[in-house]
Amino acid sequence: MAATFASKCSRVGRSLWGGLGNNLSGLLSASHETACNHFLSQQQRTFIQMRTVLKVVDNSGAKKVMCIQALKGKKGARLGDTIIASVKEAYPNGKVKKGKVVYGVVVRAAMQRGRCDGSEVKFDDNAVVLVDKQGQPIGTRVFGPVPHELRQKKHVKILSLAGHIA
Amino acid sequence: MALSTSRTLLRSFASLSPFARCSNSTSYGDSLWSSEPRAIFKGGSYFLAQRKLSSTSVLSLGSIEGAFPSLLQEWKLGFPSLSRALYCSTADFKKNELLELQEVEKVLSDVRADNVKVIPVQKHCAWADFMVIATGRSTWHVKNIAQALIYKVKQKQKGAQRLMLPSVEGQEGGKWIVIDSGKVVVHALDEKARDYYSLESLWTTGTSEKEPIQDLEKALVKIRRKNNSKKQAKKSA
Repeated sequence: MAATFASKCSRVGRSLWGGLGNNLSGLLSASHETACNHFLSQQQRTFIQMRTVLKVVDNSGAKKVMCIQALKGKKGARLGDTIIASVKEAYPNGKVKKGKVVYGVVVRAAMQRGRCDGSEVKFDDNAVVLVDKQGQPIGTRVFGPVPHELRQKKHVKILSLAGHIA
Repeated sequence: MALSTSRTLLRSFASLSPFARCSNSTSYGDSLWSSEPRAIFKGGSYFLAQRKLSSTSVLSLGSIEGAFPSLLQEWKLGFPSLSRALYCSTADFKKNELLELQEVEKVLSDVRADNVKVIPVQKHCAWADFMVIATGRSTWHVKNIAQALIYKVKQKQKGAQRLMLPSVEGQEGGKWIVIDSGKVVVHALDEKARDYYSLESLWTTGTSEKEPIQDLEKALVKIRRKNNSKKQAKKSA
């Protein structure tokens, strides 16, 4: 009687494991796909704030610039906002030199920005175009794509200097 | 299950914050979430601009749905002075522009602006149809050009309930003023700024960029090399 009970248990166990095994393998493959899209496994991008290093995408002479102040917004700057930055790296003969304090307009941000039709746009890097205090761009050409948000933010000058508009 | 998800979606969209939107679109599986990597720009594998469509297409706020494609186009044109409230209403938007091309030309000739150039950029610019560049002799002249254009817009809209003014940039500086009225964008510069920025070369090279590609097609055709050597060819026996 004990033997039959044991054999029954083992049979049940095996079937359970067989069923579970199938489920597990199915779940694993499904979860691998959803794992990449899961909210908690994605990188959380945030605002551009003090000490953020940004790339310069115009021909003003600077290469990398560090944000020292986001002019609007308590948490930081987003796509289309103006920042005050300090030039950290520059080309040898350019209009701006290393150590200069400049204003900049954020043209690409890793943080997504919602558009009025419900879609969101985000880029792979943080990029800035240097401007002077009145909003005139210091460089004459802008490289890389720029988003449409600049038009609403009254940066049509940068849009007109850009080659590619996202 | 589907009902519950739709209900939770509606609740989240009521809050209308971009963060909330982001989180909900990811948690509802791959079917509702689509992304298209874009912008491999100019040869270099530069970066990807992802456009994430939240599931508003299925359960959007009713006001947006009716005017969806026209809204997108309007927004791309970037009617600059329209408020958000106007956007989301299904009321018919005005067909006539703030500034027409002929009116702009007339105003510029009245103000005696130098070197007026009109560049049609319909083909390689999705956000504007015409770029007008004018030079002013001094900063005061440049400001005057801008003021004259705005005066013309105000005259055109006399008697209307709400004045829709084009957006003006650079008014305080006086060196480069841009007046954005939807399809027509007017740039008023002074001579130094015009030489510095050289906007015509930017936009006219855009049109001529298409031509070299056609020559490339011819260039890649295999042509038999000319044999100019004086060596006598081996005569096969």
